This record gives sequence, C-alpha cells and structure tokens, in this order.
Amino acid sequence: MELLVTLRKVQALEKILPYADGIVTGSRFTTGYHLTPAEIAEAVKYCRTKGRKVYIVMDNFISEDEKMLMYDYLDYIDSLEVDGLYFHDLGIYSAARSSHLSSKLIYDGKTVMCNSLDSGFLLNRGIDSIMISRELTLEEVSKILKNHSGKIDMQIFGHLRMSYSKRRFLSNYFRQIKKEYDYIGKESLSLVEEQREYRMPIVEDLNGTYIYTDYIFEMFNEIPDLRKYIKRGVVDTLFIEDENLICQVLRDYRRISAENSGFIRDSFMHNHPGSYSSGYLYQKTNISKNE
Amino acid sequence: MNKIELLAPAKDLEKAKIAIMYGADAVYVGGKFYSLRSRASNFELEDLKELSRFAREYGARVFVTVNIVFHDSDYEGIREYLRYLEEIGIDAIIISSLALIPIAREVAPHIECHISTQLSSLNSSAVRTLKEFGADRIVLAREASMRQIEQIARKVSVPLEVFIHGGMCSNYSGRCVLSNRMTLRDANRGGCAHSCRWKYELYDGDDRISDEECLLSMSSKDLRASAYVERMIASGIASLKIEGRMKSEYYIGQVVKTYRNMIDEIYESGKLSAERLAYYDNELSKAENRPSDDGFLSGDCDNTKHLYGINGAGVTHDYVAFVHAFDANRNIALVEVKNIFAKGDELEAFGPKLDNSRFTAEVMFDEQYNLVELANKPTQILLMRVPFPLRKGDMIRKVSGL
Repeated sequence: MELLVTLRKVQALEKILPYADGIVTGSRFTTGYHLTPAEIAEAVKYCRTKGRKVYIVMDNFISEDEKMLMYDYLDYIDSLEVDGLYFHDLGIYSAARSSHLSSKLIYDGKTVMCNSLDSGFLLNRGIDSIMISRELTLEEVSKILKNHSGKIDMQIFGHLRMSYSKRRFLSNYFRQIKKEYDYIGKESLSLVEEQREYRMPIVEDLNGTYIYTDYIFEMFNEIPDLRKYIKRGVVDTLFIEDENLICQVLRDYRRISAENSGFIRDSFMHNHPGSYSSGYLYQKTNISKNE
Repeated sequence: MNKIELLAPAKDLEKAKIAIMYGADAVYVGGKFYSLRSRASNFELEDLKELSRFAREYGARVFVTVNIVFHDSDYEGIREYLRYLEEIGIDAIIISSLALIPIAREVAPHIECHISTQLSSLNSSAVRTLKEFGADRIVLAREASMRQIEQIARKVSVPLEVFIHGGMCSNYSGRCVLSNRMTLRDANRGGCAHSCRWKYELYDGDDRISDEECLLSMSSKDLRASAYVERMIASGIASLKIEGRMKSEYYIGQVVKTYRNMIDEIYESGKLSAERLAYYDNELSKAENRPSDDGFLSGDCDNTKHLYGINGAGVTHDYVAFVHAFDANRNIALVEVKNIFAKGDELEAFGPKLDNSRFTAEVMFDEQYNLVELANKPTQILLMRVPFPLRKGDMIRKVSGL
C-alpha cells in the first residue's frame, strides 16, 4: 500500500513528506486543498527531488460552463507529469482520454462506489484504480479488496465527507439572517442538529458546500490485514491543523502490524485525544422502515 | 421530430394508472427491491405485470427504478428480476450502478438502461462517458441551468431526461449520506430521513453564530419548471420528468394533466403566452403543498430558494373526492371521500377528459341511502348529484381552497 497524505499548504511539505510515499493535492475543482496551480508545480518539483509521488484530486462536479476551464486544468496537470488523478465527475474520463492522464485515472465517486461489480466495470474500461466509498462495513471492504486486489484505494484516516451541494448554504444562511461573516474557505465552522450534540464541520467554497463527519475516521486495527490488498491509502488532513498529529498518523500507519496495532492505536489516542471512529466498518446503515 | 415524453412517478399501481390516464407518456415505479424511496408502497411483481399490460393499452411506457447504490450483497437475485421485467414488457430500468448495464444487456436485452440522476451528470463529457458505457438515456443533474441543458443537448446524441417538477435534493443526488450518520439509514438505499430539512445550529469554533429565531436548514423549495417547458422542447430533450413517488393520486393527476395540456398546447400553437403560462402555474399550485421555484434552471440558488422556517410538507385538504362511477341516467356519481366537504360547498371536478368544471354539492347519500350533509369520513362511499357527466378516475376538489 502506498501511503499518501493530502497537502493543503506547500509549507507543510517539508515536515510531512518524510513520512509519506506521496501527496494528494489540488487546485481547481477541489474541496478544501486549494493550492494555486503554481504551488502545485512547486509541490511536484519538491516531491520529485525527494522521490515522492504526486496525485491531483478533482472531487467536484463540473458544469458545462466550466468545461473549458476543466480542459485547461487537465492540460496543466498533465504537463506536470503527476502520478495520478483522483476524479469525481465522470466527464473527466472522456476529457482526459487524449492526454497522458488517461492511464492515471482513479475514480473517487465518494458515496457511490460500494461494490465489486461497479469497481470491476470501471477497471475494465481503463481506469487505473477505484477509491471505494466510506460507507462500507469491514466485511464489504474486504470483499471488494479481495476481488480487485491491488486496484483499490481507500481513505484510511480523516473526516469523511457526508454531503456535497452546489448550493451555498453558508452564504445563503447569512444572507437570510442578514449577518455579515467571514466564512469562505474557513474550516472552523460546524453544524449541530438541534436534537443532537456532535459538531459536523461545514465548509463552503466557490464550488458549493460540504459537510463532514464530526469524528475522524481511523482504521489502525484493520490496516495490518488489509494493506496488502490496498493500492493506496489516503490520510485526509482536511480540518486537521496539527502537523505533529499528521506526522504521527503517517508514522503509525507505516509501522503498524497485527502484533502492535492495539498498542499503536492506544498510544495515538492517548497522545492526540479527540473524536475518533471506525466509521461504518462495524456499523451497518441499512436500517429499514420497520426497524 | 418525436414529441417530448412526459414521465410521471407512481408509488403504487393505482397511482400509476392515474398518471397514465391523466396523460403521462411513461411512468416510473419502484419494485419492492433495488429501489430508493423505501417508504413508497412499491410494486409487487404481479402489480408490475398488470401495470405493463395497462400501459400498453394506452400506448404508454413503464420504467422501473433499480437505483439504489448497490453493495455487493444487494445484487442477489438481480438477474432473475431483470429477466422478469423483460418478460412482462417493462421498457427501461433507471440505474445508478453501471455494472447493471452489461448484466441487463445479457439477461434482458430489450430493456433500456437509463442513468439515474444519482450519478449527477452535469456536462456533455459526462454524458458522453455514460453513453460510451452503454447507457440508453441520461437523466441530467438537477443542478444544471436551462442554458447549460441546451448546450449539453446540442452536443450529445444520447436521449436526455430532465426533471421539471417536484422535490429537490438540496445536495447532489447520491452524494449525501447525512441520514447514514444521524439515523443509521442509508440515504442511497432507500432510507433517506431528509436530514437536510432539519434545523441546525451553526458554530464557529465554540461560538454559536446562528440566529436562534432562524436556524440553518438546507431544505430547498420544490421545483416548478413550467416556464422552461417551451425551451426544453425546443432544445431536443427527450423526456420531462415529474418527481414524486411518494405523492398522492391527486397530486399525480393534477400535475400530469397540467403538464400534458401545456406540452400539447406548445406543440399545437408553437408557443405559450404569458397568460396561458399563468393559467398553468395556477393549475400546478392547486396540487402544491410546499413552496416552489425554478431551482437551478435560472442559475444559482440563493437564500430565497431555501426554506428556513418549514420542516416538512404541509397537507392540502382541497382534494375531497375520487369518482369511481357515474350513472348518466340519473346524473349520480359514486365517489370516495378523501377530505371533508359539506352540502353547499363550491366544488370543481376535473379528469383525464374533463376540464375544470364547477358545481355545488347538493344532494348526497351514503350507501344505505341516508341523506348526508357533511362528508367527513375518509374512504366513505357517497352518491352525489353532479350536473354534468363524470367518468371513473375523475377527481373533485373544493373551490374555496383554490
């Protein structure tokens, strides 16, 4: 398993790169990372000198009006000779065909890639790898990984994206209550449903609004068994400011084994207290109307 | 040029028949399995068979939603199910799992594969990708503007379907799992709890910055695209889709009839005047129980297109009776009571072949021929005098509520 980490600031590279095999970052059509194209070029250059890989993420949908911008951006990242492109909009599959990116495509459908057959369908059409959904049980994950060993990517740490809207919920809300507030791109905002207590991070950018889990997803205990099947494991750092924590996560995922996973996990939790969860790995979410 | 298709939803056989009788060219329904909207009644296999037979009588088509986001275990029995759908003459399946395309080709080669809005196709490249993958039709994302829809339609050769009416996901379809976290119900497997319509406090760090009098909600107004139908027809869109597999027969009948008449008028007259559009909008409002707007069709969705003070749908009580039979010799209708009405109320009947026709509720009897002055027992069967002919399937509403 390649161990990747998302990069949100070029300045963080020097500190976190020693612990990762590569970075995942983006500029256009990307939630939360928002480096400038020039910063991406700088990051690519730096990673090359360190023998690390660079993956670009485009996890937004792209409107017809934005298509030319999309083509220009694809040309740009193609020219950087990056190692792969995580994409969310199926239009990129067609748009990238004439570029070197066509053999480097990784489909990240976020919530809609939940099975082996759909994964196989896309892999058979030239897509290099599939980032599977986060709403899967461990049993389901294991099955997909074994059916497509070495062709599946996973988010292995970080807040999970729960919703993505083109609507600008924060802008609209502040307009509604006639309140001026500095919120664009800000990562400190959260929602609390009136009957619940946990805080779900919410962020708005020019492409829309995104809501994430209140907890940080982790799979320390599971990685030892699964790593041989996973092509790339991504540590997502959105909403996580503490670079020491990020470095520790990467170090721990690198050295974790079946023998020490319990100790490593407990130590991590002790040193970096917070709200962590195994997400849906042990929690089915298919309750029916009768339950 | 083929006439644009009017595609209506139905949660059960009765409503599917209403949709077809009231003018839908096609209906889409969910089976007991593999379908979103788990709270919809959904069709038994025998109901699907009966619907297919009924639709053929009217020259209508039937699409079956197989649009959950599949997990591996969900595919169990899918081949047999698709074979059955083909055998009974279902015209298309609406899918979000791309792997179903080759499976359907193999076991049900005459069934079309329509790509659900769950895949949020928002540009012509995405449409081309899906066509290359074998899709027969693409349902565009509801986030596309009218201008963008026109641009996409000009660039692609695969038939496109566009939503024109009904509820809207406030997030991109298929990309919201708020229900999963908050209720353990899988939004993409029929369990959506509409968490987007709930109310939320907003914090910045530990500071609460929301207004207690108006909490944040993601709830969107419903879609009403009546003003765009003319442009959609001109753009070459294949199908206009009404949302609402949970909706009542009244909603289905009224909305389908209104769009049916509007589409026919546009084809006959070449255009729709502002006066006629206002008429149709008024007709649509008779079935409306949530505020509506044109969504993303006119561009961005600002705060005026959200609902901050309303959690769910209101209930309309205007619909008072469903006509089961009519005795033309005595001008007596056999009706089923749906909502309260009384002798002396001004009523309006409408139906597949009946334009809005008003009358006053006068002589009414129950099945034991007792005189009834107040019809206040839902599902009660009444006999009532109506001064003009009605047909089975016609509906009656109160004028006072209009």
